[in-house]
Parts: sequence; structure tokens; C-alpha cells
Amino acid sequence: MAHILVVDDSKIMREMLMACLRGLDSMSFAQASSGLEAIEQISLHRFDLVLLDLNMPDIGGIEVVEFIRGQDRLRALPIIVVTTRGDESSRERALGAGATRFLTKPFTPDIIIAEVQALLKPSSQVA
Amino acid sequence: MTGPVDFHDYVEGFLAEADEHLGSAGKHLIELDRAARGGQSHPRAVRELFRSLHTIKGLAAMVGVEPIVDVAHEMESLLRAADRAGGRLPAPAVDVLMQGIRAIEERVTQLARKQPVTPAPPKLVAALSALVASPPAGAGGAAPRFGLPAEVDAKLAASEREQIAQGIRGGRRVVLLEFVPAPDKAERGLNITAVRERLSALGELVKVVPRSVATAPGSLVFSLVLVTSAENQTLAQALESEPEAVVALTLDAPAAPDAPDDSDPVVEADDTPAHAHGYVRVDIARLDDALEKLSALVVTRFRLGRAVADLTARGADTRALDVIVGEVTRQLRDLRGAIMRARMMSLAEMLQRVPLLVRGLTRNTDKAVALSIQVGDAELDKGVAEQLFPALVHLIRNAVDHAIEPREERRQQGKPEEGQISIVCDSLSGTHLTLTVTDDGRGIDGERVARKARQPVPRTDEQLLELIAMPGLSTRDEASRISGRGMGVDIVKRTADSLGGSLSLQTSPGRGTSFTLRVPLSVTIVDTFSFVAGAQKFVAPVAMVEEIIVVDASRIAHAPAPDRGRPAPDRAAPEWAALVAPVAAMIERRGQAMPLVSLATLLRLPGRAASPDSGKALVVRLTGRHRGEPIAYGIDRVLGQQEVVIRPLEDPLVRRVGVTGATDLGDGQPTLVLDLVALGAALFSQARADS
Repeated sequence: MAHILVVDDSKIMREMLMACLRGLDSMSFAQASSGLEAIEQISLHRFDLVLLDLNMPDIGGIEVVEFIRGQDRLRALPIIVVTTRGDESSRERALGAGATRFLTKPFTPDIIIAEVQALLKPSSQVA
Repeated sequence: MTGPVDFHDYVEGFLAEADEHLGSAGKHLIELDRAARGGQSHPRAVRELFRSLHTIKGLAAMVGVEPIVDVAHEMESLLRAADRAGGRLPAPAVDVLMQGIRAIEERVTQLARKQPVTPAPPKLVAALSALVASPPAGAGGAAPRFGLPAEVDAKLAASEREQIAQGIRGGRRVVLLEFVPAPDKAERGLNITAVRERLSALGELVKVVPRSVATAPGSLVFSLVLVTSAENQTLAQALESEPEAVVALTLDAPAAPDAPDDSDPVVEADDTPAHAHGYVRVDIARLDDALEKLSALVVTRFRLGRAVADLTARGADTRALDVIVGEVTRQLRDLRGAIMRARMMSLAEMLQRVPLLVRGLTRNTDKAVALSIQVGDAELDKGVAEQLFPALVHLIRNAVDHAIEPREERRQQGKPEEGQISIVCDSLSGTHLTLTVTDDGRGIDGERVARKARQPVPRTDEQLLELIAMPGLSTRDEASRISGRGMGVDIVKRTADSLGGSLSLQTSPGRGTSFTLRVPLSVTIVDTFSFVAGAQKFVAPVAMVEEIIVVDASRIAHAPAPDRGRPAPDRAAPEWAALVAPVAAMIERRGQAMPLVSLATLLRLPGRAASPDSGKALVVRLTGRHRGEPIAYGIDRVLGQQEVVIRPLEDPLVRRVGVTGATDLGDGQPTLVLDLVALGAALFSQARADS
């Protein structure tokens, strides 16, 4: 069972992301509506993957990435950053901070499914 | 595996969220505008506005509405530049941003109506990108410092520093707080989101910085920077920590803090948290559906009650059944309450965009308008709000376009240059509310309207309202423009009527006009008294009836008919007593005289009407012009109290003042639902016009 944290301040966006992934086998989801909530949840619970929006009410996604990578326990946690067109400059910053992958809205369901599957496979084989 | 996901299925959700973000964007833009006029920056509003637009843009991209993406993208770039400049915008930016919000709103509406979405206006996009290039006024200067720990200080953006500095100069405190998240706290609902909400209610939460602390439960501590006027004790309570944990900060920058009295409170004025969590948006159609099903259930309950009553009448022992019927009744009432509460929305939310509307209307005119909205925490049914809002917009538009005079004209008349428009809400008896739109403009000149409309000159405001609400008049724009009113009043009146409410008018030439919309808070199911008058059954909302009294013949006095148009001067009874005398007797209740009107006579029911000297009477207090005046309606007998489903009367021939709709009491016969307050108001007005 892979546990995924979906972080976006837009509820409908979270729903869209989860709808894409629900078809995959053995997935469970937790949601966070802000960057701070994401950091709190990641600190208190174990996740296999984080889907992260960059623009949120309190702190940005980049800071969340930086925070995660600053923790020994979380160095290997896969993070897919999801952002909107026009934020191309953030791409370098997000990847520089340690994001695993970078997706730009709009994307198709296939793309997000492929990315998630690719990131989850190695760990599930090991386990 | 589920079927393929199509993002177009999420358009409905997009519309709901876009709507919310546009509302909030409008609000923050108005704040920015106010700050800009006062020569101030407003970093928080810039950031909130940026975020709203960014979210709209991202969602629009997902559901494939490119024109919205284009407009939002340009607005966002402008705001990002402003954020970097400490929350300062180039002077002409507010207007252009406002056009941008309107352009997005138009496209959201097109999408909602399933119309093709028009491309982004090239002129607007060009204007926005030109502004991104222009440097904002007044930026620069040394970054202020506040003695924050380096770890936190390093994270502050220029606009956040400015926000803190403004707070301190405005006489408030800046404090540093810590929140340590833990699993047990999270289980109690005390997580960072809850903490943010609590602190946002106590001040402006400028920054939250997560820090790794090995000793903390999740190796995590949040440092929070808050601009506030609250006490340490209150702040510590919000975090469930100790007051000693609250650290106050000072402004180290050269500019010494001003005395609080010199501060400009404008920017700090309405400090509501931008995001309300824990809400689910529900399509109104689904709530309608739930109510519809409940309505059917209520009718079934009536039939059950009648069937049991029949059994009882035939001598069966129905005590156990009676208990169950009673229980079902109570549960239905609870369920109704729950559904009705889910349907309520705050009036303040409905009116959120009115300031933007007013500003848009005064733009490019030589008029200045100050808008005041006092609606408190009144709530009303979403279905009612949806119909009411366009009517209200008509009234506001009329007030700005036609009633408020240009500055010069106002000055010549000795009025303040800035016109006043106010929207005030009064909640009435839990069933109705009134919304009054008042302006201090030129008032309506009845004579001129009448002349242009070729109608007799109205003698009362009621007659004037009838005249300006004539459907034909709105097209004779000459009359309406000169008189200062008339546009769309027929539409407003029709909306009020269709909601089972009313519209009234008070105007005074040269001094201003008030329109009052009286509407039910919600439609459909209402607690009512059922009663018989003139051999017919009626129901009236319980909340409207102040008291049911037994009519005591010895306390009735038949008021003498007044001299035509001139009530006898030395009578102790109030003015209305003479007005309603032709149809009413007087009855004394607790030392106060009030008119007693036979409902059967009033409704001109066929057959022999019971004398008002016997039976019972329902006491109601009037609103509007006769506010607070009591009136008693004589009836034959009270049948009981029950919840009924009110259906509006569709047939205009049946529709009349004082009748809200019809209901089915379970006997298959339609029963009229009476609005006794409106009925009384009509009676008084009629009497006044006759005298």
C-alpha cells in the first residue's frame, strides 16, 4: 500500500489529482490544503510520495521541498511538484531544492499516472 | 480500474472555486484601492490577490479555459512585481486590475452558461503587461528589522517586512510565537491550520516558518509572526501554550513608532481571514432536491396523522401510534432544520462584490460615492439570495447612475461632494428580512415622472412606486433619467413579488430615496398556525404571530369614522386608528388600543362572515412605515400548529397581497398561506390613500 500526500490549496485540484490515481492498485491518500499543513503531516506521518503545488496561502512549495530535504529521515521521499504555466522559473528552483519531478498544469491523467508509477516502483520492489 | 478521468468533468467545481476566488480578489482589490488613495502600500492584499489569481489560473488551465489563463497570468505578473516592491502598485494599476477581474468574471459566466468563452481582450493584456514594466512609486529604502531570530528574519519577503512595519507604526504589537505539532494535538484538531485560523482571528498573521528541532515530537516547530493588539494570555490560549512563550518584537528601523492616534486605520480596517476551512460547496440544485424529497415526506406525515386520527375517531386504541407520529414529526422538523441550515449563506458574502460594482459604476464619471454596508451576520437561503442579488444590483445601479448627483451639482446644493449609499439589513421575526438601499441623491420627482408617463400625479410614495414600476416606463428613458429613477424597478418589484416579499419606496425630492426589499429568509417549509376564517382554512407562519388572544366583546370599541382626511385631533389613539376605522374595530390589550380586523371581511370571503366580536384573534406587529404597530386579525378558530410546504402561487390571477403561496395540509385541498404583516401594511396604506 502506497500512502500519498496530495498538497494543494484548491480542493477541486486535489480531487482531480486523486481521481487520476485512484485507478492504480493499493493507493491511499492524505490531503493538505497548505504548505504548513503538508510539513506538519510529513513530520508526523509516513508517506511514500508527495504531490505538491507550488503556490499556497502560507509558505510556498519550494520551502516545503527545502524543509523535507533538510530532514535525514525524508531525504529519499519522492516529491512531484505540480505548478502552473508561467512558473517556469520555479522549475529550476524546485529541482534545485530537491524536488524529484516537475509537472506543469495543464497535464493529462496519463502523465501523472506514469510519473507516480515510475517513482513508486523501485521502493515497492525492494519492500 | 476506473474509467478514464476527464478534467472537463470538474468544470462545475472550477466554477464554484473561481467564484469564491473572484469574490475574495474583488475584496482585496478594494482594500488595495483604498490604501493606494491614501498613498499607502498594502502588502497583504497584494499577496492575497496574487494567490487568488494564481489559483484561478491553474484551475482554468486544467479545465482548458485559455482566455482566463491569459488574463490571470498577466494580472499575476503585475502583482508579483508589486509584491517584490513591498506591496506597492503603480498608480493606474488598480483600474486595470479591476478590468481584469471583470474580464475573468465575464468568462466564468460564459462557461457557466455553456457559451463559447471569448478570447482575452488584447488591449487589456497589453495594458497589464505595460504596467509590469513601469516602476512602482515610492519603493525602496532600507529594509526594516525587528529583532527576529536570524532563521525567521531570513525568510521575510520585502512585502512582509513592510506589513510588520506598518503594523507597528499603526500602534500594534508584533509578536513571535511557537507551535509544536504533535500527534495527540492533531487528533484534537489542533494542527497548524487550526492555529493559523485562531491567530488570524486575533491579528494579521504575517509569516509562519517551520523549523527542525530534534527534541520536538515530529522534530518540527513552527515559528509564527503576528501583528496584533491581543494580550499575551489570549495568544497563548490560542496555541494552548504559556503566556511566557509569547515574545514581543520592536521596530529597530530609524523611523520611531507613531502615536496610535496618528495612525491611519484604513488599511487595517477589515481584517478577516482570507480562507475559511472546513466548508463543502454544494450545488444548490442538490439541496433543492433534498428539500423536495423532504417536502414529500412532510405531506406523507400529514396523511399518516390523519389516518391515525380517523382510527382514533372510530374508537381504536392508537396511543402507541400517536407516540410514533409525534416522534416522526419531531424528527422531520430536525431534518428540515438541518437542511435549511445547509442552505443558508451570509448576506455579507452575497454583498461582497458590491463595493467593486459601485466603484466600477463611478469610474469615468464626476461622481463620488461612499458606500456603507450594514448587514451584520444575517443569513438567508441560497435560493433566495440568487434571486435577490440581481434585484439589489438594479437598485444600487439606479442609485449611482441616476440618484447621486455629480460633485458640482451637489456642491451647489450645499450637499457634501461625496454621495452616500447605504445598504442596511434588518432581520425580522426569523422569517423575513428587509434590505434597504438608501441614497442621499436627488430623490424622485413624482410630478415629472407622471407627466412623462402621462399618468395622474401620484399622491403617495406607494402610488409613485406603482408608477415607476410600470413595465413600460423603463423604456421611456427620458422620464427615468430626468426623474432619476425608473430603470428596472419593475424587475425589482417582480423579483420581490415572486419571492413572496414586497418592495416599498420612500423618497424626498432633493434629499434622497430609500427602496426597501422585504423578502422571506427562505422558501418552502415553514412552521405555521392553521385556522379557520369565514369557513375557509388558512395557515400563517408561527414566527409572524405575536400572540393568539381570545376576543372579549366587552373590550371592543367601534371607532367612529374619522372626518374625511382629518382625524380628530384630541384622540388618544394613534393616527392609524382613524385610518383603519372603516374596516376595523378597536380592541384593548394590556392597556393599549389596537385595531381588530375580521379576516373574513378583509378577504371578502363569500358566505356569512363570523363577527369579530367572537372567537379568537391573531396579533401581529407590522414592519416598514408602520413598524411596531400591532394589529389583531379576528378568526373563527385555531386548528393547530404544523409545518407546511409552501408552494408559490404561479397563477398571477390568484396572486394577491398578503398571500404568500399555497400548501397542502394533507387533505388534498390547497390552503392559502397568509402573510399577515403584508396584509396589514396594505390595509393601512389603502386606508391612508382613501382618507
